[in-house]
Amino acid sequence: MTANNTGTVDIKKIKQMLDKHKVKMKLSLKVCAHCTLCAESCLMYTSHGKEPEYMPSHKFINSIGKLYKKRGVVDIKTLEEIKETVWEKCVLCMRCYCPLGIDIPEMIILARSICRSQNIFPTYDK
Amino acid sequence: MVKGTRKPLEEIKDYLSKYNKILILGCGGCASVCLAGGQKEVNILKVELELALKKNDARKKIDGFTIERQCNVQFFEELENMVPDYDCILSMACGAGVQLVAEQFRTKPVFPALNTVSIGIDREIGMYEEKCRACGECVLAYTGGICPVTRCAKGLFNGPCGGTNNGKCEISDDISCAWNDIFNILKEQNRLEDILKIREPMQWKNQIQRTTIQKPYMDRYLGK
Repeated sequence: MTANNTGTVDIKKIKQMLDKHKVKMKLSLKVCAHCTLCAESCLMYTSHGKEPEYMPSHKFINSIGKLYKKRGVVDIKTLEEIKETVWEKCVLCMRCYCPLGIDIPEMIILARSICRSQNIFPTYDK
Repeated sequence: MVKGTRKPLEEIKDYLSKYNKILILGCGGCASVCLAGGQKEVNILKVELELALKKNDARKKIDGFTIERQCNVQFFEELENMVPDYDCILSMACGAGVQLVAEQFRTKPVFPALNTVSIGIDREIGMYEEKCRACGECVLAYTGGICPVTRCAKGLFNGPCGGTNNGKCEISDDISCAWNDIFNILKEQNRLEDILKIREPMQWKNQIQRTTIQKPYMDRYLGK
């Protein structure tokens, strides 16, 4: 997977997208108790030696959480890191389960969508 | 994964000629992996359509957008507010994705931009080989991991037929005889008894639409 965007980031667009989902995003980040119970439901976590970076909670906190914390003011490098997290470490199988009801896949989808809005997405021809 | 190829531009133009606001909808799943309908291909098609359609009609508005998957409505959230602004949708997903988009947005014409070709494997970048026809009666256990439904021109369950010739199929010298390959692999694995078993003809089930429900979910969906 290689970079598609080597230019600039449209911060305004990212902010708009974050604002649209602000309530749910804020609540999800606040509610996460870091209980790690979601980990066992993740096939990527269980098939990658239970590495913490594959935990669903880790993935959503290090993607949408990062974007939220920085209020969308991110550079290409950060978006590339987020891309790594939300595409390379997650297959969006929608199986992750949160006992507190956080819709983790929805948060990952949002992070992917924000990356796509900046022309950052995986390519399969290189 | 599902493999597809993009339809010719002329065919796509033909669908779209009477619509002014067109949404090209990419799919981040299989269509993206086989380089036919992902965000990159959406961007390319957008430019091609703008060149082809806008030069004659400046009112045309062509936008591209890619969702993670078109075969699951859970990925459609962003489309709900977006779709009303367009006259039609040009889906770059497989046939399943196109149909779900059409089902979900019943008031909008939905057109396919791809021909869905096969369930296959990635042989090289941009080169895919059909491996499965989703017949619903997998016999790979007895055929050394070679699918006779896909590979044999006659789809024979008991082969080879009389047309096998020096390891090639009678329809072309370029095509390897599937049953010859099955014989060779079973011989290598010392289990030729598998080729001697007579298999009953396939009860073809794919003439009607199939729905798959996994066993633990039977209760939930069928009350069984």
